[in-house]
Amino acid sequence: MTRPATLPATLTVNGEARPLTPGLTLHALLRDLNVNPARVAVAVNDDFYPGARAPQRTLEAGDVIEIVRIIGGG
Amino acid sequence: MASDAFTLGGKVFTSRLMTGTGKFTDFGVMREALAASGSQIVTVAIRRVELKAPGHDGLLDALDWDAVQLLPNTAGCRTADEALRVARLARVATGVNWIKLEVIPDARYLLPDPVGTLRAAEALAADGFTVLPYVQADAVLARALEDAGCAAVMPLASPIGSGRGLRSPELLRTVLDGARVPIIVDAGLGVPSDAAQALELGADAVLVNTAIAEARDPVGMAHAFALGVQAGRAAFLAGRMPERTHASPSSPLGGVVRLPDPEVPV
Repeated sequence: MTRPATLPATLTVNGEARPLTPGLTLHALLRDLNVNPARVAVAVNDDFYPGARAPQRTLEAGDVIEIVRIIGGG
Repeated sequence: MASDAFTLGGKVFTSRLMTGTGKFTDFGVMREALAASGSQIVTVAIRRVELKAPGHDGLLDALDWDAVQLLPNTAGCRTADEALRVARLARVATGVNWIKLEVIPDARYLLPDPVGTLRAAEALAADGFTVLPYVQADAVLARALEDAGCAAVMPLASPIGSGRGLRSPELLRTVLDGARVPIIVDAGLGVPSDAAQALELGADAVLVNTAIAEARDPVGMAHAFALGVQAGRAAFLAGRMPERTHASPSSPLGGVVRLPDPEVPV
């Protein structure tokens, strides 16, 4: 998708827009968010990863990211 | 009673009580209640990490996941597409390909969407999941879900968390009649007699969360549900008596001791 050059590049992380630093990887995003990768699962668009095995994937503008964990439920 | 195991998703279980992990006041009580329940299948939910205050809530540490079958759910999903995404996240989060499929657009009664559930079930079964769909007690839908490759069908007893018990036993009977996969009554059971009723009718198992977690003594109630399930199953195997419109004396009619009755001619 083409963006007007004047708009800052953003990601959507758990439903909220977040500025994208050029070259940001999935690993670095989890670290920046202070999320323990071993405790979560991550989706980048339609790709799904255990947090602990998230690849050194470089994130791109417009990526939709979900970071989830297990909680009590029935 | 001889061993009365049931097979679900290619695995054999001896307990017919499945338990959820929501609403417990603390992990200690939850752990004790799950132990008292004897449950071998335990349900969990998947939620977004709170990015403003991340931290793990310890559920993964609170249970021996080698000893129980983990059953992640898609609770909170309103559409088939949301459920597919959560199921795939659950699989990578847990390493387990079992999923309790919930597609629930309606927040007031938490009633499932049959069309979206079937569509999601077809996609997840094709993707290698062991799918346990939560549905209304609808025999036609249950057969379609079996045909879609679901490992079980989970008809509700009454709305989730309502504790109102089995409100439509006649409909459950139609689901049980001819079922080729285990039928697990899920949602709305309030007391052990509700669970017993479901098993007496022929359900293979029940899933209980709120009735245990919100009991004054969750550990005691978990034990009581385990007994209710065992009683119901034993009764189903033993075979109930026929129901009759009128009374039928249990004692012989002959040789009854009588006094003269002035109203009755000798």
